[in-house]
Amino acid sequence: MSTSTSTTAPTGAPTPAPEDTHAPAAAPGVVKNPWLVVTTREVVVKLTDRNFIVSTLVTLALIIVGVGASAYFGNRTADHTVAVVSTEATAVVDASQAIVGADDSGDTVTAQEVADEDAARQAVRDGDADAALLDTGEGWVIVGDEEVDSGLAGALTDTLAASVLEANATEAGTTTAELMAGSEVTTELLTGDEGQAGLRYAAGTIFAFLFYFSAIIFGMAIANSVLEEKQNRVVEILATAIPVRQLLYGKVLGNSILAFGQIAIYAIVALVAVNITGVASDLGWLLGASGWFIVFFVGGFTALAAVWAVLGSLASRSEDLQSNTGPITTVIMAALFVGLLADGMWLTIASYVPIVSSVAMPIRVLDGSVPVWEPLVSLAVTVVTAYLLLRLGEKVYQRAVMQGGTALTWRQALKLEV
Amino acid sequence: MSQQTASLEVRNLTRTFGDKTAVDDVTFTVEPGKMTGFVGANGAGKTTTMRMIMGVLVVHGGEVLWDGRPITAADRARFGYMPEERGLYPKQGILDQLTYLGQLRGMTRKDAAREATRMLERFGLGDRLKDKLESLSLGNQQRVQITASLLHAPTALVLDEPFSGLDPVAVDSMVDLLRDRLREGVPVLFSSHQLDLVERLCDSLVVLSDGKIMAAGTREELKSRGPRRYRVATPPDAGWLRDEPGVRVVDVDGAHAVLELEGEGTQARLLERAVPRGLTEFTPLVPSLTDIYREVTR
Repeated sequence: MSTSTSTTAPTGAPTPAPEDTHAPAAAPGVVKNPWLVVTTREVVVKLTDRNFIVSTLVTLALIIVGVGASAYFGNRTADHTVAVVSTEATAVVDASQAIVGADDSGDTVTAQEVADEDAARQAVRDGDADAALLDTGEGWVIVGDEEVDSGLAGALTDTLAASVLEANATEAGTTTAELMAGSEVTTELLTGDEGQAGLRYAAGTIFAFLFYFSAIIFGMAIANSVLEEKQNRVVEILATAIPVRQLLYGKVLGNSILAFGQIAIYAIVALVAVNITGVASDLGWLLGASGWFIVFFVGGFTALAAVWAVLGSLASRSEDLQSNTGPITTVIMAALFVGLLADGMWLTIASYVPIVSSVAMPIRVLDGSVPVWEPLVSLAVTVVTAYLLLRLGEKVYQRAVMQGGTALTWRQALKLEV
Repeated sequence: MSQQTASLEVRNLTRTFGDKTAVDDVTFTVEPGKMTGFVGANGAGKTTTMRMIMGVLVVHGGEVLWDGRPITAADRARFGYMPEERGLYPKQGILDQLTYLGQLRGMTRKDAAREATRMLERFGLGDRLKDKLESLSLGNQQRVQITASLLHAPTALVLDEPFSGLDPVAVDSMVDLLRDRLREGVPVLFSSHQLDLVERLCDSLVVLSDGKIMAAGTREELKSRGPRRYRVATPPDAGWLRDEPGVRVVDVDGAHAVLELEGEGTQARLLERAVPRGLTEFTPLVPSLTDIYREVTR
């Protein structure tokens, strides 16, 4: 339509400032993808928010420190010194090295010969030795100061038992090997292997808490961002420029991207740290489950996002948010506890309930043996729910966000005229 | 330079809230390049009318026309709007949020930022572009708000109480900005309580009371409405005028009187009789808008 120049301004115009000689750029009026502009603002505002940056960095630091600490404690080597009086004891201690060092931990055990029993006890008391191994004539005693390292005690006991057994066997005209024949027991796990069970549980717990915190933190961010616009009446200006539902889409998308991005960064940093420190080798199984977790997180979060936006639009002051977000917080909490506690059939059912499935299904995937169609079907349920909630949310949001005054309920808002 | 020729029309606009009719069959036109003042007491329906024009409130009756056809969302997106309750993002830098608002109205990011910078500089806020809105004084926040409504070279302006809270210097710079837009043929509708300001700025006037239009028209039309009044002075006493035919005395105060004259030749006859009585003043009175406003809303 009209483009404007001020070069032919009629007389009587106030003297324009020198730089005012160019025309104001005429706007085409209708922005092509308003939701994209809104999304970009949501993301940029958050990424330049000092609180957000600091809290993200602090969390990353905690992750790195956590992984580093477990690597440090896991890899710390222990060098045991055992005070002995007799050569038999020395032999036992030396033989126990085989057991102590068997787990690749680098632990060592050395015998320190002393004059007599009293000297041995004194060495333990003074801390010169970690333990003393003494022959009482009827048996053996391991002397510790306050406690005896359980690994060391176990190794010494096993070695002693073996050597005594060996001696007794020789006396009886046989060998240990003959006596022990057929008694060997090994463990066979049908799914997974030992050592991963603990990690699985840890990973499940981490998934559950990550979902809990991110869903609430970013959910509140959406609600507050909607409320900010409502409270400051910016929304009235925005509504004349773009359809209100585009505003909703932009906010939901922007905050979902932020939540997803933050989770992904945490996950990447954690996995890299775990790999570098070698805390857990062979993390392929974890990667797969983490991938599902992120996909389900996005689905579950998007389903909730529209609800958060509606809650923001229903409130009239930030105090209202504290009361009207109760139910949604409960749902998120349910997802957390299901992730931590549910088992068997309950977990299977939970893994199909939208939002709760965001935690439950990845945990089932962690356990392995879930056919790939199961997470896909569950994801489809979540996506459909997200869509329905977004459409309902759109209706409530459009009405409520223009309504100043008191806090509203969903029902009241739906009765309002647009 | 293409001069804009579209006018903004409101026809039989009606809106109810429950049992209360807030805006009742309101019709007026904001001509291109003309500044139209929208006056009325609190609760007269000004804000409701403006919100309906901007599509923020649903219309219950009547219609809004732009350029002779029913207005669309795309038309409104090119309008500049300043709502009654001010509002922008308190915690965002002023240039950033103006750029955002410009983008939402279809400007490129670069154009929006350049235009916002230019206008903020004109308002003396050139060194505060990165400051958060909430750190500005109320007057300066108001300047940012105005910038938000003018940034995208709007095709029409709907401004609800745009001058409230502005000091005289800021009013002048805002008027300058508005004049720039008026010269390009942009119709401007603004509401105000400050009748002196409306008097100074407006080409035409719409007076609203209880949701109904009491008067509408150009300043000249409104001023020439009703009987012409004159101020007459015949010392020591103007009381004799009460008995003159064709003369309606509005007020007598000693030697001075305010009159309305009826009928052909009354003025000549009156002067003839007044001169021997020592006529010292005979002045046609031009009513101020305040007078008109008082008159029509009485």
